Amino acid sequence: MMTPVVRPDRATTTPAKRTKGSPRYSSPAARRRSLTGWAFLIPAAALIGLMMFWPMFQALILSFQTGRGSNLDWADPLTFNYDRMLDDDIFRLTLTTTLLYLVIQVPIMLVTALVLANILNNPRLKWKGFWRTAIFVPAAISLVSYSLVFRTIFATDGLVNDALIWVGFIDNPINWLGETNTARLVIILGLLWRWTGFNVIFYLAALQNIDPTTLEAAKMDGAGPIRTFFSVTIPQMKPMILLTVIMSTNGTIQMFDESYNLTRGGPANTTMTMSHYLFDVSFQNNPNFGYGAALSYVILIIVAVLAAIQMKVGDKRD
Amino acid sequence: MMTKFRKGLTFAAAATLAFSLTACSSDDGTEGAEGTDGGSGEAAAAGDNSLTVWAWDPAFNIFAMEEAEKVYQEEHPDFTLDIQEVTWEDLQPRLTTLAQSQEFGELPDIFLMQNNAFQKNALNYPDLFTPITDSGIAFDEFPEGVTAYSVIDGENYGVPFDAGTAISALRTDILEEAGLTVDDFTDITWDEYIALGEQVLEATGKPMLSGIAGEPDTILMMLQSAGQSLFDAEGNPTITDNEALSSAIDIYSQMVEKGIYLEVNSWDEYIGSLVNGNVAGTINGIWISGSLQTAEDQAGNWGVTNLPIVDGVDGATHYSANGGSSWAVSSNANVELATDFLASTFAGSTELYDTILPSAGAVANWLPAGDSDVYSEPQEFYGGQPIYADVISFGAEVPANNTGAYYYEARDAVGVAITQIMGGTAPADALGEAQSTVEFAMN
Repeated sequence: MMTPVVRPDRATTTPAKRTKGSPRYSSPAARRRSLTGWAFLIPAAALIGLMMFWPMFQALILSFQTGRGSNLDWADPLTFNYDRMLDDDIFRLTLTTTLLYLVIQVPIMLVTALVLANILNNPRLKWKGFWRTAIFVPAAISLVSYSLVFRTIFATDGLVNDALIWVGFIDNPINWLGETNTARLVIILGLLWRWTGFNVIFYLAALQNIDPTTLEAAKMDGAGPIRTFFSVTIPQMKPMILLTVIMSTNGTIQMFDESYNLTRGGPANTTMTMSHYLFDVSFQNNPNFGYGAALSYVILIIVAVLAAIQMKVGDKRD
Repeated sequence: MMTKFRKGLTFAAAATLAFSLTACSSDDGTEGAEGTDGGSGEAAAAGDNSLTVWAWDPAFNIFAMEEAEKVYQEEHPDFTLDIQEVTWEDLQPRLTTLAQSQEFGELPDIFLMQNNAFQKNALNYPDLFTPITDSGIAFDEFPEGVTAYSVIDGENYGVPFDAGTAISALRTDILEEAGLTVDDFTDITWDEYIALGEQVLEATGKPMLSGIAGEPDTILMMLQSAGQSLFDAEGNPTITDNEALSSAIDIYSQMVEKGIYLEVNSWDEYIGSLVNGNVAGTINGIWISGSLQTAEDQAGNWGVTNLPIVDGVDGATHYSANGGSSWAVSSNANVELATDFLASTFAGSTELYDTILPSAGAVANWLPAGDSDVYSEPQEFYGGQPIYADVISFGAEVPANNTGAYYYEARDAVGVAITQIMGGTAPADALGEAQSTVEFAMN
């Protein structure tokens, strides 16, 4: 699932805060301006509250209920669904798989994105527009479409096997999607292809905000390109790197489309993500919405905890 | 049906994604409004002569409904049907949503339901259905194996539509290379099938069968051919200590090991193995015929016979089923009109079945339809064999079994177990795990 882009700074620069230092407004005009600002905020805030926070609250209630289909009752004990999860082998498998995707894919993707962004930012690079487009285009492709394309090219008689046989690397086709390790590899490759360009855009934006004089100063002081990159460029990109880390973590933990479309969770559920399992529990199998809601809350907690750790570790601004 | 089902999955997934990306778009605006017109509008106007129907395939079940409308109009000239195309992948969540939100007014009068999902829906959401046992529909004119899908606690909830009667389809030209004919594959056991398969493999290099790895369709067909399923009559999972299941898994692993059964990864690869002539046959529901016939270059080179029997299992037969669907009457229906309509068409009109068989390949479950001449016409694609008459006679022999509400959970769990067994896990361990997975889902 696509992660909504968070713009933390926007939210705090509301008109109300601009009238700083004066809790009581200096003039009726200022007061009116402030009220106008709040009035502009209300529709969006109300919509977010109604469409996001209210359903989230309802899901929380639902996660304390149990029953098949519409015959829902309060669970006894209330945490029944959460206790049940501890005995759920499939959930444990999907949790492991999802975390595996996270620790392998996110670092590779972000480092690659950082390198690509720096190459693209080089003023002497020719065909810059073309490269930028080429790298960003995957991010504009529907998750389902690309999953299906990957599924096709990694089929036993697909393009990848044909190419590898033609080059002479292998003699017999590899059953990419039929073996746990290769199927997971294909999902990770897919994620890298789809999301690296997306992160490059963020890094390019960050790079363009770096004051060129700082780079020149480093050069004057005799720093080579690598030293400059690590000591001058990276520190200035830190907030953006943190943002992409949080977004990627969030997105990977909630990943659904690739698991559902590319591998169908197979072989033997070993590529299934948590969100895919949640979907199966709620819609594919006998509808167990209480358990599904509990699963979604566990995913939320995992995302929140990881994001908190990352912010603690990554954000040293005061 | 399953063909459409799996192809449709892709689109469903695409639709789901599009929906989730546009977040809170206008689901209520467009589709809901349609539903209101169809459903509650109809209910309000109960007594007038029209019915709303949800079905999913314009070339197949919707076409059949349109023909049924014409048949019924002969005696009821002012009768009309409002048939709405709702893919199965949309229909299931729609039913779930309506049932969860208690908005039964949005239901149509009649909707189509996959046989394998019937028990699940009727047990979880009984409020969606109207029992139609005493409605005058002659359920005894359908094979028991087919009505059993839609019977809950002795009450009938559905009128069977298309048959999932299983056939063993064989490439006569490939068999000929090995010096065999379809007759050699008729009324045999699985052991004999394997022996013949080895002969074919040796002579032609082609496996007998293909199927999707991790999807236990073949094994479940073997089970049903012995009147068994993954559940006992009380609905308890019987994955461990299930003699028929262990025999079926044993047959399956033997075939894979010997190269007689080609495991592929997707539905498209499976169909590809058939139409590209990579295998010498297939065993599946009769609906597979639609896909086979897309390979026009193979016309005349196919034959159909019954299934091999599972040796040493009580009640084993040569007949089974996979897939199929039934018409359900909703709780929001004009019940009298809906049941009379179904009784005089899908459960009472040879004329209807005579039309939809040649044009849509819809094989009747309704036994009297099989006596019609249309069914005994030779089929050119099958070398002049009148396969539909054969299929009707197979259908009458299919043993009933209990699919239960947890059919999909059990099916998935057994699929996982088979993947593990193929990877080297001891069958007892893998099946034990599958059993506990299903028990876990049920508690």
